[in-house]
Amino acid sequence: MVHYLCTMENQGWNMNRRQRNTASWITLFVTPGLLIVGLFILLPLFMSLYNSLFSWNQLIRGEFVGLENFRRLLGTYPYRERFLNALGNNVTWFTSTMLIQNTLGLLFGFLLSRKIPGSQLFRRIFFIPVLFSIVAVGFLWGIYLKPSGLLNNFLDLVGLGSFKMPWLGMESLATPSIIMVNIWRWVGFPSLVFLAAIDNVPVECLEAAYLEGVSEWKLFWKIIFPLIIPAITIITVLTVIGSLNVFEQIYTMTGLDGAPNYSTDTIGTLFYRTAFGSIDAGSPEIGIGSAIGLVIYLLTFAISLASIFVTKRSEVQL
Amino acid sequence: MITDFRYRGAPALKKAFISFVLLIMIVYVILILYPLFNMFISSFKTNRAILSTPFSLPEQYDFKNFATVWIDKGFAGYFTNSIIVTGIAMGSILLFGSMAAYGISRYSFRGNILIYMLFLSGIMLPLKAAIIPLFLLIKNMGLMNTRLSVIMIFIAMGLPSTVFILSGFMKAIPLELEYAARIDGCNDFTIYRKVVMPMVAPAIALVTIYNSVPIWNDFFFPLVFLQSNAIKTLPVGLSTFFGQHSTNWALLFTGLSIAILPMLILYLFMSKYFIQGMTAGAVK
Amino acid sequence: MKKLLIVSLLLIMSVSLGLFAAGASEQADDTKDKTVIEFWTWRPEDIEFYDAQIAKFEAENPDIDVIQTAHKNTEYNTILAASLSGGSGPDVFQGRAYGGLATFADSGFLEPLEQWLPELKDYSATALLGATSPTDGKVYGSPAVSQTVFMYYNKGVYEELGLSVPRTWDEMIRNFEAVEKAGYIALGNGAKDGWTLETMLGGMGPAIYGGTDFYNAVIKGEKNFLDPAFIDMVETMKSLSKYLPDMYVGIGYEDMRGNFINEIAPHLIAGSYEAAYFRAQNPDLDFGIFAVPGRKAGDPAWVSVYADMNFAMNAASEKKDAAVRFLKFLSSKEFGKAMVSELKMVTSVPGVDASSDAFISDVLDLQKHATPYLFLVGFRYNQPTGSSLWQAAAQGVMAGTLSPREAAQQVQDGIASYYEPFQK
Repeated sequence: MVHYLCTMENQGWNMNRRQRNTASWITLFVTPGLLIVGLFILLPLFMSLYNSLFSWNQLIRGEFVGLENFRRLLGTYPYRERFLNALGNNVTWFTSTMLIQNTLGLLFGFLLSRKIPGSQLFRRIFFIPVLFSIVAVGFLWGIYLKPSGLLNNFLDLVGLGSFKMPWLGMESLATPSIIMVNIWRWVGFPSLVFLAAIDNVPVECLEAAYLEGVSEWKLFWKIIFPLIIPAITIITVLTVIGSLNVFEQIYTMTGLDGAPNYSTDTIGTLFYRTAFGSIDAGSPEIGIGSAIGLVIYLLTFAISLASIFVTKRSEVQL
Repeated sequence: MITDFRYRGAPALKKAFISFVLLIMIVYVILILYPLFNMFISSFKTNRAILSTPFSLPEQYDFKNFATVWIDKGFAGYFTNSIIVTGIAMGSILLFGSMAAYGISRYSFRGNILIYMLFLSGIMLPLKAAIIPLFLLIKNMGLMNTRLSVIMIFIAMGLPSTVFILSGFMKAIPLELEYAARIDGCNDFTIYRKVVMPMVAPAIALVTIYNSVPIWNDFFFPLVFLQSNAIKTLPVGLSTFFGQHSTNWALLFTGLSIAILPMLILYLFMSKYFIQGMTAGAVK
Repeated sequence: MKKLLIVSLLLIMSVSLGLFAAGASEQADDTKDKTVIEFWTWRPEDIEFYDAQIAKFEAENPDIDVIQTAHKNTEYNTILAASLSGGSGPDVFQGRAYGGLATFADSGFLEPLEQWLPELKDYSATALLGATSPTDGKVYGSPAVSQTVFMYYNKGVYEELGLSVPRTWDEMIRNFEAVEKAGYIALGNGAKDGWTLETMLGGMGPAIYGGTDFYNAVIKGEKNFLDPAFIDMVETMKSLSKYLPDMYVGIGYEDMRGNFINEIAPHLIAGSYEAAYFRAQNPDLDFGIFAVPGRKAGDPAWVSVYADMNFAMNAASEKKDAAVRFLKFLSSKEFGKAMVSELKMVTSVPGVDASSDAFISDVLDLQKHATPYLFLVGFRYNQPTGSSLWQAAAQGVMAGTLSPREAAQQVQDGIASYYEPFQK
């Protein structure tokens, strides 16, 4: 009986339902949004990316040079070194965020849906860090991570004084510290998304499973997990996009130049300081900057599309 | 409900697991409330006190900073502008975003995925990167120095994630409900309004907060496009506390504390909606 | 839900129309017969100062209105670039020096000023260098401010411990050790913010690498950054790390200054722009300055100097006559004097009597042994700038992940990738 209630068919995943002549309805629903996004985002964005095909004299566009900027970016010193270094950091961001933030989010979401003691309080408070502006988060945690800051004071207090570190000043610790701050900020989001998704699983399914004596572990993996795949897609794709684009949080905590010694550099900060210049890093290089932008866009597009297709396939398999 | 996690009567392993996770959650709650507290407390201090003793309670609680920020620095006006801009942008994002999500997720048609990816493209590169063409566009549309310019930009920035998240949740709504509504004679728009939207209420609450916060806190686009003082928003006002070589920490923290209040209020409102929406989903 | 949707739709439509109108009428606000010019700065902390000066200007020129907008320093370049590229932008504005100027000058956004302000030829060569485009040699800004990098010291602590201003490097080290024994941190500098390491180079570097002679040799390509003198300098800087605060790689700009202001560290290598801040934060602090001395007794004690800010004019401005009058006001001796006395900045306007302020006259005294601020002046014209290369490499050295030679190599390779004299 459980299987009847919980088959994918009944849940409406099967998309090839009706091929009715609903063109006008679709247009009505989709056009306003598409128009606004197209005009105010896609148009300026593509014009910017188009800039990568030209040479630039400071802020004035020169002649068409085709893929020259890309060749310089991926082939010459120092661009190639910086780009690969930055990309490596982006991979670190992605894997850490997936492994720590999203698994914690899944755990929290699941337990909150199972009404663990205190869940009423927790689900209200977990989302509060999202409300802070990035600038506020950068400052507050910048202060806490100072050598004389809260974290080191706390380590002293609990007798772990030998672990005191200049968290944002050491090359090996700076990026992990910023990632942890970012996780602090965002873990409430996947928690609530998963909570909402898990809550949508019909109670009859779960109660029936309990009565049949299914263990918690199996319950989660065999029944709940497959039914929340859309939520997993959402979180995964947003994480992919977020980790490839990350830049504001780093900017507020260690600056635009990837301090210390390029260890916190990501393709986002590299892009921004190449395309716009920074006070220390010099004048804008619009050609190469736009090339970096195009690479970021293509990478993000490809990986997001891939994630969507991969998770879509597991939707159908049950 | 039998599906709940009960602490009492649970086997030892489960108890240990629950305790462990509870510990993490409690630590996290402390890590959330402390910075909030810290930020508010710092508004009562002077610059030097913030730098030398950032973690202790202020020596005296005077509201001088609040008065300076609200009146002298014109924050009262900036606050109103922020509310107007964020409110209108958010309302439009919910309207157009949910409509587009409905169109993409509840119908199957050729080009479905393409439109979906087009929307998603909107967040694949920070819009800040395209500031020069955007500037020219806004100028040519005659929208320079108007609130409408940033409103349109914010709507465009918020639509992609809204469409993405809402379509994910809308897909999960079972077909029987739609069939039942059609039998009752509802047309597509009514189905959207009366059947689908109420069922994704938690997602709507999430999306509202997820987009309101960056819009409320964004300082870059208002900085570029809103030049008259009368229409500037809160974050632009905050940015004047950042000097090249000296930052006015006291006023900055005061400004940040004032700025987070509407978001907290919106959040409390939305979380009620979120929870209501969740239990409503169970009633089919 | 239904009500919410209808209400939002109505709200959007009505308010949008209202706002469209509201926005447009903003521009019609100006009084008809006055010329309005826009003035942009990157110093929100100086808004009141400029407001007062503008009031003075407007009193003398009743037919001109000046509107000041101070943008956040880190966003200033981007906003200026966007506005100027878009054909609008301010009429008069603060301009960056050296490479920052070249960006806008070479794009044709700046008005060459030699014909508008003939008095510019009386300015010093160092000042004019910052406001001249290396491509066509024209002057695009009226130099306003120069900055100097040196060592601040706590006079109170020196008196208390009976120390005197050092005349050689070893004397300075002995002073460091003396204050350490007395429980202070010898030197308050940190390494978290890369540019503060460039400041450190500016303060103690020239004494070791050889001042202006080295600078000129490097510019011409006769020497490069693998020169033993430069590597010696990097090693010496690293040797100073034992006098820095604990975990100095995590100490940022604010903490550094905090160390000095709160009298935890009686020495700080910093720029002349700090004086006003120090005085505002701790009026009781009695501080002085000295140039970091060389190794031998007769060596000149160098200070790094650079042109910091100039006032520029938008080439596309439609109100050039009014703008020029404001520019002349900003280049006048009275304004220069005001910058000295109120902002504690060293003005570039020639002929201003700076003796009224003790600090400024001390700075001018030290400037007798001025040397160009190595990377900022000489190597900020292309990416990657010498500054950014040095900042990253220095962070590596101070953290121990790079040896001084590797750091010098990193800097050399980066600059050689575009600097022709190094490519021979």
